[in-house]
Amino acid sequence: MATINLVDLKKNYGPVPAVKGINLSVKDGELIVLVGPSGCGKSTLLRMVAGLESVTSGRIEIAGRDVVKAEPAERDIAMVFQNYALYPHMTVRQNLEYGLKNRGTPREEIDRRVKEAADILEIGPMLDRKPRQLSGGQRQRVAMGRAIVREPAAFLFDEPLSNLDAKLRVQMRVEIRKLQRRLKTTSLYVTHDQLEAMTLADRLVVMNGGLVEQLGTPTEVYDRPATLFVAGFIGSPPMNLLSLESIAGASGFDGLNLPAGTDVVGIRPDQLTLEQPTGPSLALAATVELLEPIGGESHLHVRLNTSNQAVILSVPGRPDIAEGAAVTIHARPADLHPFNRESGRRTDTAVANP
Amino acid sequence: MVENRPLLSFLTHLVLIVGVVIVVFPVYLAFVASTHGNGDFLSGLVPLLPGPNLIENYRLMLTEGISTAGAPPLWIMLGNSLVIAIIIAVGKIAISLLSAYAIVFFKFPFRLLAFWIIFITLMLPVEVRIIPTFKVVADLGLLNSYVGLTLPLIASATATFLFRQFFLTIPDELMEAARVDGAGPLKFFRDILLPLSRTNIAALFVILFIYGWVQYLWPLLVTTDSRYYTVVMGIKRLAATADGEPQWHLVMAAVMLAMLPPVLVVIFMQRLFVKGLVETEK
Amino acid sequence: MQTKRTIFPNKLLPYLLLAPQLAVTLIFFIWPAVQAVKSSFEREDPFGFKTTFIWFDNYKRLFADPTYLNSVGKTAVFAVSVTLLAMSVSLLLAVSVNRVLRTNRVYTTLLVWPYAVAPVVVGILWWFMFNPSIGIAPYLLRGLGINWNHRIDGSHAMLLVIIAASWKQISYNFLFFVAGLQSVPQSLTEAAAIDGAGPFKRFWTIVFPLLSPTTFFLLIVNINYAMFDTFGIIDATTSGGPAQATNILVYKVYADGFLGLNIGSSAAQSVVLMLIVIALTAIQFRYIERRVQY
Repeated sequence: MATINLVDLKKNYGPVPAVKGINLSVKDGELIVLVGPSGCGKSTLLRMVAGLESVTSGRIEIAGRDVVKAEPAERDIAMVFQNYALYPHMTVRQNLEYGLKNRGTPREEIDRRVKEAADILEIGPMLDRKPRQLSGGQRQRVAMGRAIVREPAAFLFDEPLSNLDAKLRVQMRVEIRKLQRRLKTTSLYVTHDQLEAMTLADRLVVMNGGLVEQLGTPTEVYDRPATLFVAGFIGSPPMNLLSLESIAGASGFDGLNLPAGTDVVGIRPDQLTLEQPTGPSLALAATVELLEPIGGESHLHVRLNTSNQAVILSVPGRPDIAEGAAVTIHARPADLHPFNRESGRRTDTAVANP
Repeated sequence: MVENRPLLSFLTHLVLIVGVVIVVFPVYLAFVASTHGNGDFLSGLVPLLPGPNLIENYRLMLTEGISTAGAPPLWIMLGNSLVIAIIIAVGKIAISLLSAYAIVFFKFPFRLLAFWIIFITLMLPVEVRIIPTFKVVADLGLLNSYVGLTLPLIASATATFLFRQFFLTIPDELMEAARVDGAGPLKFFRDILLPLSRTNIAALFVILFIYGWVQYLWPLLVTTDSRYYTVVMGIKRLAATADGEPQWHLVMAAVMLAMLPPVLVVIFMQRLFVKGLVETEK
Repeated sequence: MQTKRTIFPNKLLPYLLLAPQLAVTLIFFIWPAVQAVKSSFEREDPFGFKTTFIWFDNYKRLFADPTYLNSVGKTAVFAVSVTLLAMSVSLLLAVSVNRVLRTNRVYTTLLVWPYAVAPVVVGILWWFMFNPSIGIAPYLLRGLGINWNHRIDGSHAMLLVIIAASWKQISYNFLFFVAGLQSVPQSLTEAAAIDGAGPFKRFWTIVFPLLSPTTFFLLIVNINYAMFDTFGIIDATTSGGPAQATNILVYKVYADGFLGLNIGSSAAQSVVLMLIVIALTAIQFRYIERRVQY
């Protein structure tokens, strides 16, 4: 049980900066998810915390101790790797025991912890099998088990679910969440999947280009994306980002009263409606290009008549609309997110930003 | 694929059978010769069917040898060959594992230079540098010794390359997981890398055992003491007796005995042999 | 050059790990090679007391020596013949094995073991078969009116060493051709079959072109083999004779250095051989590099 503090952490590969100065405090027992596109520096950041990458400058404190110079084994962390990294020639039990044996843990203690982890993860019957005899989900559990038996100060997860098929991924996601709640171990979790990030995180760090774009709870980040990048990255289908020119002249546009500096507004697909809402609204004339029914809801792809701008709506059920039909789409002014394109930031005062 | 060409199938098998006959026939002749008595070779044509002297000839060669040819009994030479082939195979594997480990898992000054020094050994087979190498071994006082017979043959770029290739295919995460689990470099080598290299080591052992066994020129140069003769070089002495025609039945018994161990290794470890051969050379 | 994403931080350990291999390489490979280069520029007086530096005299004399030039010619004939014979026979066998389904393991086992036979033993086997007084081959050839005697006839001797050397190399080539044939995607031959190509046409238009990396690799390996690994075969069958007819370069180095004790000339010959190996290795590696980029 511990806190993790990152202070102005930087990493350069030769002249190329990969991580450009990150400050982050992970509270005791908290699960923080680092999310971003590939190459954003999230994995490098995690690997620096693990001690697998050297640090160019800055400080890493785990449980109040500066560990920048410490070997991975001396940092009291456990890591779950993307491809599990189970030792293929050892049985599940030997995999779980290896780290403990290397630390000279007494035999009874090892047995107790292995049994406990096996019970938690329900892998008891597999203890004497080799990794290749296990399914993907079972390997994933063993990899988690190897972290659990160590009883470390912190768990580090490096895209642990990305090798699983979609169904299993959802199932394991729930299990990781439950497990982390139960053990209350401070955790850093890296993923590129924004849905995984939203569902797992106590707090979310959205990274891009080696910098933190936004830090906040999933709801904060979803409801008030701090930057254009976050607005486009979090949420599926992604937020519609419309330049002011493309909607100028629409009915209700003049009454919008946007903050100074705004030249782009964002609106989530599920906050656009085909019916006129009560109260004031922005009404845009559009033509339907494609209707994608995806079960309980449908994605409606339209183009604005005035500017030819593509827009996506999420509408409940399966509306009876033909492709090529003319529609009017409505947005409530309160649902609009105002941004400035040049700075990339919100133009109404940031509240969710640290 | 449906193919209905009986003539082609027949031809295919015919080609293979002729091929097998060509490959096997010289050895069959040698075997037949090794089962006859001395007198059977005076008729002007070698016998084509086995004779009655098999046990007698092999026993004689194994226990006594041909004293006039200056070669010791075959069991001594077979023993030497076995010892030397094993030392060469184990030695090559050991030093190659270590150097490949250094090259793949560490970064250090002169790493590239070390790699090139090892690489160069590919270009200097013993046959092209016999005399100076012989001189070095003689100056070190290693003539007529197992060390002199094996050590100069032990450096091997191919084994180092094979292990390097294999190490590069081991996922990075495995080593990272081991480090997080508290394993240092030697522990990682012993607990993870060696067990994972088992198949490669075995395959390479088969190839290198054969390599060591069939060595001829080098043992010929560095041994004058018959206690250190290997069977492959000893046979040449048996065959090259000064007084005219060699004693064919005994020479061929020795030939069969010299061939048998490595050929059995190939036949019974065919899978490892093929793996070792195809992977070291690529 | 490639290493792992993370590496161990130790400073001294890698040198200790490398030490055994580097020591053996330096003492038994690099140092003798340097010595060979050095003595190739020197002359030693007959008693071995004094050496003089003579620049390229050893090389000049070498390339003016008709027996050396003869040896170069014999080596070329020998290497090319062995390569062509061994490769074509093994390709035929590999293609055949690739066609049979149930029995291919039996055939493979019966064909691969000569790899493990020492070259000198190969020499003795064929020497026995072609022995002019009792061998079976001369007996059969006499029936055809050919009076075989490789002890007198140089071309007979050359033929004998070519056959013996090719025999040993068949198993090696065979294994690589089989591996190469198995890596030709079956969908391609199936597509060709649907396009109406018969088995022979399929082989020459689809399979053989796709096999060219293997063929090229084996070409280099076989030349290398014929030039350097056949010492034992020559020594057991002809000892370079009769009248230098089979005195290939690698045998001549040994004969001149150890039997003739002509150190300077032998050293110059060693250096020439090293250059040939370096050239062959360079070609081979360039080709491997290119193939990796595929």
